[in-house]
Amino acid sequence: MEPDLVETDKKRKRNVSIGSTLQWSQWQLLDSILPTGGFAHSFGLEAAIQARLVSGPDDLKTFIIQLLDNTGSLLLPFVYSTTLNPTLDNWQNLNRILDATLTNEVGRKASVSQGSALMRVAAAAFTDVPSLKSMRDVSVGSGVVPFHHAPVFGLICGLVGMDSGTSQRAYMYVTMRDVISAATRLNLVGPLGASVLQHQIASVAEAMSKKWMDRPVEDACQTAPLLDTLQGCHGYLFSRLFCS
Amino acid sequence: MGSSNGKGRSSWWRMEKEMEKGKVVVEKVRGKSTVTRSFSKYPLKFIIPRKLMIPQGDSISVEFTIGDGCTAVLTTQASTKVYKSLGSKCSEQVLEARIGSGALFAVIPDPVTCFSTARYSQKQVFRVASDSSLVIVDWFTSGRHESGEKWDFELYRSTNHIFSEGNQPVFLDTVLLEQSSPANIAERMHGYQVIAMVIIYGPKLKLVQDQVQENVKRMMSQQLHIPSTSLGHHAKTNSDNCLTRPAFIASCSVFGPKGIGVVVRIASTTTESVYRFLQHQLAGMEPLVGVPPYH
Repeated sequence: MEPDLVETDKKRKRNVSIGSTLQWSQWQLLDSILPTGGFAHSFGLEAAIQARLVSGPDDLKTFIIQLLDNTGSLLLPFVYSTTLNPTLDNWQNLNRILDATLTNEVGRKASVSQGSALMRVAAAAFTDVPSLKSMRDVSVGSGVVPFHHAPVFGLICGLVGMDSGTSQRAYMYVTMRDVISAATRLNLVGPLGASVLQHQIASVAEAMSKKWMDRPVEDACQTAPLLDTLQGCHGYLFSRLFCS
Repeated sequence: MGSSNGKGRSSWWRMEKEMEKGKVVVEKVRGKSTVTRSFSKYPLKFIIPRKLMIPQGDSISVEFTIGDGCTAVLTTQASTKVYKSLGSKCSEQVLEARIGSGALFAVIPDPVTCFSTARYSQKQVFRVASDSSLVIVDWFTSGRHESGEKWDFELYRSTNHIFSEGNQPVFLDTVLLEQSSPANIAERMHGYQVIAMVIIYGPKLKLVQDQVQENVKRMMSQQLHIPSTSLGHHAKTNSDNCLTRPAFIASCSVFGPKGIGVVVRIASTTTESVYRFLQHQLAGMEPLVGVPPYH
């Protein structure tokens, strides 16, 4: 009896230990302090404000919900696929497909900018996952495949051991986090109001994650053509804080 | 043609989900682009030389082959109207086109108008050579807005794919609008009644591309500005700002290797203003296709 109990306890401690390591990696990946340049992008919010479509907290909430819906329909398939299958071939193929799917030049450049930065940071920091660095080195060398944000995010999550449900929710989370952060810098809402808003929207974000998760890349689609049109106007803004 | 299975029912009664297929081939005959082959079955009907009628029906599929150096233009005679759907049946249209070297294919229809409760899905796939050119206008309205039907349809989906040699994806876009997800469509559209997309692609259209980009930039730069009282809690109410929203929003994006394509996205409060925009921006195509589009 005694040796079995000890064995079970050792196993449990090992599993908790693996789970705990993953948690520390997870928190680091979702922390806004991770230098991925997410703070430079407003996801079309700045253009929406200058077109007078968003002027206060109510408009902002509507905007964020539509943005999250579109993130789910368009980008979650790419996160899903690379989390499940975090191989070089799959990742490079998905980058090519997403490059043709992000027909909005502003959104496409923002995706590449964040994807490159995220890959660089992860390859340097997550040294316990050496394949990150090797995949990065191979792809930078070839120069053909752009590093898009959603596939890179899914790839890293997959390689550190996250499940696809968590990685897809996490992608929705970082999008919500970054657009709310942009909203505070655009003076639409204060930091306290932003925290209240973020918590309010969480249940909507969860519903959207459930609605759009686990879909194949062939089904990726956009659900907010008005927002897409607006985001494309970012380059026409005379004075702007953000890159996109 | 007919046969019966053991249960005594003839299998040629199976009409639901039958894809009506049509085929058009355009080749150079004595230096002129000519329709050399066309095959259509009711309810599809081709009116040559340059107009094509796509009638109502559950599923329509058409294949186009545009030969090297040829030019073909596909238009509609009137707005495609999609009526109320029965149950959850969806009206589906598929267009597949193969465009040869140095050829130009222009798809310049009137907008799709989905009536209350309609379900509509279309897919257009273009396979091009490295020096093919394309103009694709894909647009839809909120419905019979004069009758108060605004964004009242159940489902609208439009897919446009462009593949270059070796099946390389160049442009993969699907727009999906579903009622009540997350809010109803009308709420999401903020008073805009028309959504349009114009793809201008390939070497023959470089001038048109450059001009559109310049025109849109000039037009939109005047419309977009930091609102004078934008500082958070002191912002004007929504109803005030409604008066100052741009009635017409457009943006251009470059896409594809070496920026071979330009896509223009439009949101407008009226159909007329989009017709005017298309007339103006595509006027440069007249020497290529012989007629000014949307006149």
